[in-house]
Formats: sequence, structure tokens, C-alpha cells
Amino acid sequence: MTGSARRIRANRGARASARFAAVLWIACALASCATFDPPKPWEKGDLARPSMRFDSDPPAAKATQHIYQSKEGAAGGGAVGGGGCGCN
Amino acid sequence: MTDRERKDRERSATLIAAALALPGILPANASAQAAPDEGVVALRYYDYRDWQPGASRMTVRSPTLYALVPLSDTTTIEGSLTHDAMSGASPLYHNTLSGASGLGVTDYRTAGDVKVTRYFDGNALALGAAYSDERDYTSRAASVEWRHFSDDRNRTYAMGFGAAYDRIDSSNGLATNKRRETYDLLLGITQVLSAEALIESTLTWSQGRGYYSDPYKLLDQRPDRRHIVAWLTRYNQYVPRFDATLRLGYRYLHDSFGDESHMLEAAWIQSLPRGFNVTPSVRYYTQSAAGFYHDPPFPQGFVGGSPYTADTRLSAFGAVTLGLRVAKTFAGGTTADVALNFYRQRSAWRIGGGGSPGLEEFSARWIEFGIEKRF
Repeated sequence: MTGSARRIRANRGARASARFAAVLWIACALASCATFDPPKPWEKGDLARPSMRFDSDPPAAKATQHIYQSKEGAAGGGAVGGGGCGCN
Repeated sequence: MTDRERKDRERSATLIAAALALPGILPANASAQAAPDEGVVALRYYDYRDWQPGASRMTVRSPTLYALVPLSDTTTIEGSLTHDAMSGASPLYHNTLSGASGLGVTDYRTAGDVKVTRYFDGNALALGAAYSDERDYTSRAASVEWRHFSDDRNRTYAMGFGAAYDRIDSSNGLATNKRRETYDLLLGITQVLSAEALIESTLTWSQGRGYYSDPYKLLDQRPDRRHIVAWLTRYNQYVPRFDATLRLGYRYLHDSFGDESHMLEAAWIQSLPRGFNVTPSVRYYTQSAAGFYHDPPFPQGFVGGSPYTADTRLSAFGAVTLGLRVAKTFAGGTTADVALNFYRQRSAWRIGGGGSPGLEEFSARWIEFGIEKRF
């Protein structure tokens, strides 16, 4: 396979996956809106526990993501913004 | 509404908003619809080491200072500074600066970021900037993030945009004044499912163009455009029976280089007497190979003028991380923790088999020490 053919195939694959992910995400978002049982304000004490926070330790999360970024094919998801090479 | 009712309601709203933080968008302690009234200073130290059979590879030591300071009732500023000291050799295969050639690698990375967040009328708007500098790589990034809280504070919508401008000047002279631009778009939703469960889902598109090759790897030639789609979903469930929290996460990622990956992670945060808690965790990762990755022997598959890499990070493999963290909270708002993580990559661990052949197993471990003070 030539380089241009590989690139075309890769771009098509990326577009297809992007569409798939977008549709799936929207479907899940709608599903979550339809099935949840939201608590009243006075029932939310457990939700405020530190352990229930998605990122309770921002510097630790950033450092761990940097490690994975430097050792795996691609990284991302959940944040925007840069962070350097991490090539070695 | 009486003053007491108003205060109770404000307290509840602040607490739930704290639980609605989106990853990377805002730190959890600054995630309220109103600015937090307490600051945070944290110091973390990482000791990282990786190896392959019979050979120690990279060592990285990395202290990080993080601070969040409320500037007013509606505005916070936060930032971090990191210094990485790296030495050793990149993992085999075919790195011209690797220990395989006897030259080794010594480098330093200094990175910093700052973010200002303003809260107003059920919304939060954050502006951020980041800078990272190595001997051969400089990155500048900026981001803007907007979040909207539903009236009942049970749902948060998030949108973010980021841009990064990188410059590469390799120490071997093969890449001089090379540039790379990356633009990220994020959409996210966080939903309270019940009094004990939260879910969040974010979709990120990344579009990049510029220099993606690795000048330290022989014959490495990669496409000059890269598109990444990442879908990350996380779920937190408090379990009253054990006074513990279960965290689950899944990420799907597609890269226009041709590789796809799936990541699953789970953690169990167990509260213990005297302010202790212990968190065992496991992470599984699997990826397919990039379209232009070629298996050993080097340079099998190389055709002049076509994309080519033998970089094992773009091969097909699976990886497992096992972690254990112990933390203790002291009186006065101080928390200390220590964590040990062990990571291993193997071709055979790719889901469904079919990992890239001929590659050495790769292992790493990192130890974390942290101390945090709230004031």
C-alpha cells in the first residue's frame, strides 16, 4: 500500500470513528438524562465527599497522564491544553 | 426564606458543585458554582523508573508545586510548576540516542501553568495558559473553558477549546525549528444519577499539523497531520455499607495515525479509622498499531518517501497498571499520601491477541509522595 493510500484510509477511519463517538456520546447523554433519579438537596451529603470528586488531586492526575502519554501511542480526553513533549 | 434556610441551601449547592468537577477543566476543590473560600497548596514528588529485561532504561525525578488561591467571592487563580530531571535511555527499538548506542539521554523539563476562573449566574468561565520547556522541545498552550450548571445543580455542561504551539530543535540536528500546532475541542456532561452516584462523559477532538516524526529514531517519518478523537466516561459510586467509593473509567481513543485504544480503570477508596484511607487501583490499556508502524527486523517495510516508524509506542500491545495509595488527613486541613504504581507492557496482552511481534517486554514503576494544606 502506498503512503497516500494509507493516509486516505487513516483519514476515513478517523472521520468514521469521530462520527461513531459523537453519536454514542449523544446517545449516552440522552440516556443518562432519561434514567437517573436525581436527589434532593438534602440528600447530597455523600456526593460531596472528597472521594467522589472526579479529580481530587489535579497535580497527581496531570503527572500520571504525562507518564502514560510518554509510553503509549496517544493520550487525551477530559482536558484541553498542552503539556510538553514527554518523548523519552 | 430565612437566613438559616438560605445558608443551608448555599452549603448544599456548594457541596454538590464540588462533586461535579470535570477532569482537567477545573480542580475539584474549585468546582463550585461560586468560588471556593479556601485555598490549597500542594507539593508532590515523583520518582519514576522503567526497564526492559536485563537493562535499566529511563529514570525521572519530578517535584511539582501546586496552589489555588481565591481572589474574591467570584474569582480564583491556580497554577503549578514542575521540574523533571530525566536520565538513562529510551526503550529499545532503534533510538539513536538510546543506551543501545551507548550515548544515553540526559534532559530537563520545566513546565508551568496558570488558570483564572470566574463564576457568575450558574456559569464558570476559565482562561488558562501553559508553558513547557526542554532542551529540544518548547510548548506554549492556551485554553478557554465554559461550564453551565443546571438550576438544580444536578447537571453540568462543559465546553472547552485549547491551542498548543510547539517547537522542536533536536539535539542531533536532524530537526531544526520544526513546528507543530494542535487545537482541541471538548464537550462534556456531568450528571448526578442518585444520592450516591455520579457520571461524567467528555468527548474531545484534537486536530494537529506540523512535525510529528521522532528525530532520534532512525528513518522515522510520520504524517504531518494528526486527528484524535477521545471519549472518556467516568463513574463514581459511594458504597455506604463499607464507607468506600468505587471509581470506574473507560476511554476510547481513535488516532488518524491508524491506531485505536481502549482504557479501563477501577479504584476502590476505602476509608479507615484515624483519618487514613487506602486506594488499590487497576488500569488496563490496549492499542492497535499505527498504519505506518512496521515490526522488526529493522528496517523491514521501509519505503523511501512513505510514512514509517519502528517506535514501539505505536505498536500493538496491552498494558496493565497496579497501584496502591495510602493517605492520611491530619487535623488542621493537612493531608499526606504515598503511592506506588507498577506498569507493564506486553504484546501478548493486547485484547484479542495480535500484538506486535519481536518486542521486548517493558516495565515501569513510579512512587509518589504528596502533602497538601488547605487554608
